[in-house]
This record gives sequence, C-alpha cells and structure tokens, in this order.
Amino acid sequence: MRFLKWHASDKLAAYLDNQLSAPDRVRVEAHLAACDRCRKELTHIRVSDAAIHRLPLVSAPDGLWSAIEAAADSHPRPPHPVPGVRLTWQYTAAVFLAAMLASGYWILSRPSRPAWEVSALNGAPLAGERPLQGLGSLYTGESIETDSASRARIRVASIGSVVVEPGTLIRLVATGASEHRLALRSGAISAVISAPPRIFIVDTPAATAVDLGCEYQLQCDRDGAGALRVRSGWVALEWKGRESLVPGGASCRIYPGRGPGTPTFDDASPDFIAAVNAFDQSGQRGALNLILDRARTRDTLTLWHMLSRVNAADRIGVYERLVALAPPPASVSRHQVLALDADTLTRWREELAWIW
Amino acid sequence: MEWAVSLAHPEINADILESCRQGDRDAFRVVYETHKDRVYSVALYFFHGDATAAADVTQQVFLKLMTDFHHFRGDSAFSTWLYRIVFNTCVNTSRRNKSRAIKDEPRLAQTLASTDSQEADLARKQTADSVRTAISALPPVFRLAILLRYFDDLSYEEMAKILNCSVGTVSSRLSRAHRLLAAKLAPLKAWLGSKDSL
Repeated sequence: MRFLKWHASDKLAAYLDNQLSAPDRVRVEAHLAACDRCRKELTHIRVSDAAIHRLPLVSAPDGLWSAIEAAADSHPRPPHPVPGVRLTWQYTAAVFLAAMLASGYWILSRPSRPAWEVSALNGAPLAGERPLQGLGSLYTGESIETDSASRARIRVASIGSVVVEPGTLIRLVATGASEHRLALRSGAISAVISAPPRIFIVDTPAATAVDLGCEYQLQCDRDGAGALRVRSGWVALEWKGRESLVPGGASCRIYPGRGPGTPTFDDASPDFIAAVNAFDQSGQRGALNLILDRARTRDTLTLWHMLSRVNAADRIGVYERLVALAPPPASVSRHQVLALDADTLTRWREELAWIW
Repeated sequence: MEWAVSLAHPEINADILESCRQGDRDAFRVVYETHKDRVYSVALYFFHGDATAAADVTQQVFLKLMTDFHHFRGDSAFSTWLYRIVFNTCVNTSRRNKSRAIKDEPRLAQTLASTDSQEADLARKQTADSVRTAISALPPVFRLAILLRYFDDLSYEEMAKILNCSVGTVSSRLSRAHRLLAAKLAPLKAWLGSKDSL
C-alpha cells in the first residue's frame, strides 16, 4: 500500500449508509481504490451492519399504556378540549368570533411595550421604580431592584422563570420570539429555563451568559467580577470572542476586563480549583503544573478550555495530559489540536462531553 | 416479535399531531402504538437487557410526550423530537442509575425467550445473542448512535439533531462503533456471509 496521509475511516459508515454528499462519495471511493486499510475497515463495517440487521425488535410489555395514562392523569398539564366535544362549524365560528373580540380588545388596551409578569417573593422590590406588591408587570427597558430584604420572581415569557435575589439590580432589555434578554447590573439571580438554545440571554458587565437549556445561578458585582454555577444543562459564557462552556455541576468565574475564566467541576479538589483561579488571574506556571498534576478524567472540561488559553509551548503539555486522561477519536489529530483548529476542537469536545 | 430490524420508519400524520396538540388521548394512543416497540427496544438494548429499566424509560418518554406536547413546534420532524426525548431519557436514567451498573444478559435472554416463536432458528438466535452482547459492551455514546440508526432508520441529519452534534461526528461515531462491533463479532464473519477476512 502506498503511503496515504488521509484515511476515510470516519466517513465509512456514512458511505455505506449512502449519507455522503456526491463530492465526498467520489473522494471516499477514490481513496478506497488505493488504500488497503480503509477497504478492510469497510469490510468490518459491512459485517457489523449485517449483524445488527439480525437484531430483533422487542415488543413493549402489555399494560404499559395503562400505566402511562394513569401517570398522565395525576400530572398537571395544559388544558385541552373536553373529551367528546367535536369541532362543529358552529363551535369553530364561536371560537373565531371570541378570538376576534379578544384580539380587538387586546390591540386597543395593550401596553406600548412587551411586558413580563413579576411577583414579590419577600419584602418590597421595585419593578420599574414602582413598589411591587403581589403581582406586577415589567416592561422592556425597566428594571427590578431588590434591597437586602426583598426578592422577586420574573416569569420569562413562557419559557421559565428567574428569581431575583436580595441586593440585585436587573433590567429587561428585550423580549421576543427569537430572544429574551436581561442585563444583570449587580447582585444575583437563579434561572430555570426550558427553551431552545440561545433564546434566553443575560448580560453582565464582564460577560454574557447564553442559555443552552438549563438551570443556573449567576452573580456579579458592579465592577463585573462574578461567577456562574450551573445546576443542569449548559450555559455559554461569552465575552469578545472568548467562550467558556459550562455544563451542569460546574462553575466558572467572571473577571472584569477579561471575561469568563476557565470552568471547573464543583466536585474537583479545592487545590485544583484554586490553581485554575490562580492561573486565570496571573497565568502562573506553578498553577498550570498543579492543574495538570491533579486533573481527573472529568477535569478534561478544564483542560479542554485551557488548550486555547495557554501559550504554544504549554499547549503541548496540556494536550498530552488530555490524551492521557481521554484519548481523542481518530478524527482529532495532534497537529490540528495544537494549531487550535476550531472544527477539531469542537469534535473532541463533543466526545469529551460524554464524561463531563 | 419481528426477527429482522425493519427499516421502514412510520411517520405520524399532521391530523394526529394536531389532535395530540389538542390533548386528544386517542391520538396519543396512536403515537404510542406506532412507536412503542422501537422506543422500548432502544431502551432495552441500551440498558443491557434490563426489562424494568426499558419499561420505565418507555413510560417516561410517552408521559413526557403527553405533558410537553405543546413544546413541539413542528420545526423539525416529529420523530426527531420524539427520539430527542428518548435520547435524553436514556442518558439521564443512565446517569441516575450509575451505581446500578447492569450486566444482566440472562434477563435479556429471558425477555427474548418469552416472546420468541418456537420455530426460531437456533443459529440465528445465537447470532442475535452475540450481537446483543457486543452492543452492550459499546460505550454509551456509540451504543445510542447504533440503536437510533438501526431501530429508527433516522438520517444522519436527524441523528445529529438528536445527539446534539455535527453530521460528521455522527458518521465518525457510527464508523467507530462498527469497528468495535466487528472486532467482537469476528467469529461470526463466515455465518454473516462476508468475503474478506477480518
């Protein structure tokens, strides 16, 4: 076999399943004609493919539907039409007329800006400089301010809620179908969001928290120093092209003028977390050595982020420690990682995410 | 029980989906009947043949489908949305049950034996047992990719949405999963009819 730098290994399943684009298919076929190794791998995949097709589909047990119905009956759910009611034309017309009347009333009486429902949880927070007692509204451009004895809850359209902790100032920047955006000036919030990624966004003075479908706490002071702690799901912290991806069970500090620090899992050892914080603040070599020495398999979250945050010489050490803890897939080459190829780093992160 | 994995993928029509949106229990029943065996099979093979875990996952999936149907906005295929729920439920249940590592092949064998026909071909059954064992030994990320591909006939694009990764990563995971399976299934190569040596 003559020497070939590129192999089609990662594309062979797609080739067999006819899922490649025409140019990729031509490229793979040309490669297969010249490469013994990839032809042999294709044979392996055919054997495996034939074997899997012999697996039986197993019937779900009888009685499962009854259990699901019983569970659904005891579960709160959105209202739906009374069973048995059919959509006759009279019914449809009545609903249409009611909707027209309601929308006409709404158009005449609606506020000039979109509003969110807010409620006081403790004390007397201010919503748009109005004392909030019980339920109220927060309009675009308005802020909620809590003192040391008050808390409030914001209902974020229909996608979740945010609890505004004591001593917090937060403003509603925008709300719409494609984006709901708050600006946290200082203080702390706890957010629970169920929405597609990148719909709910919170700006802080030193970083922007982009929800990727999750539950998290975010706090910052007036200078911008802060921290993010994610309970479940993922949050992206972004600032001027620098990004930290923080999964459930992990935290990340925010530094004024430098944006997000390097995320660490909350169950990492205190000296590991202290070393990461020291490295983020001063780039100390001693801190880097301690990070590499103490990292567990799960701490590849931290090491993966550090790849793009250390100098070229130190990157080799970070890469080798990562490889020792979690060998990369074949499609991730040392050369591409050290060159910080974005696609390669993303592929490796997608694999590593399974152990995070 | 069917013996060969059927790649014909049933799709639920728009009228049924609209009725589900209205909370029509009969429409949900149609969705359940259409997908229950596939969802159950994916969960059963994912959880190493643990029938209790598979039934629990199947119940969770369809309960979530009924209670959260208003979140389905129709901007992706219904099957993509459904199998995203299957994927999340399998992964979350697997994380919750980490301490309860399941290596219970006899339970799977029992499950299958109880539903198998008397005319089942012994060689075919032994092959299926070997394949099941090999799939059970795959890392979860590869296991789910293989199961979704073969039980649900999803395109790589749909799988990428479900697995939250790129299409290239789907191909890479399936290729690597096949290589690992082929290595374990080498003794069956002749029976499976391959011409080249492993």
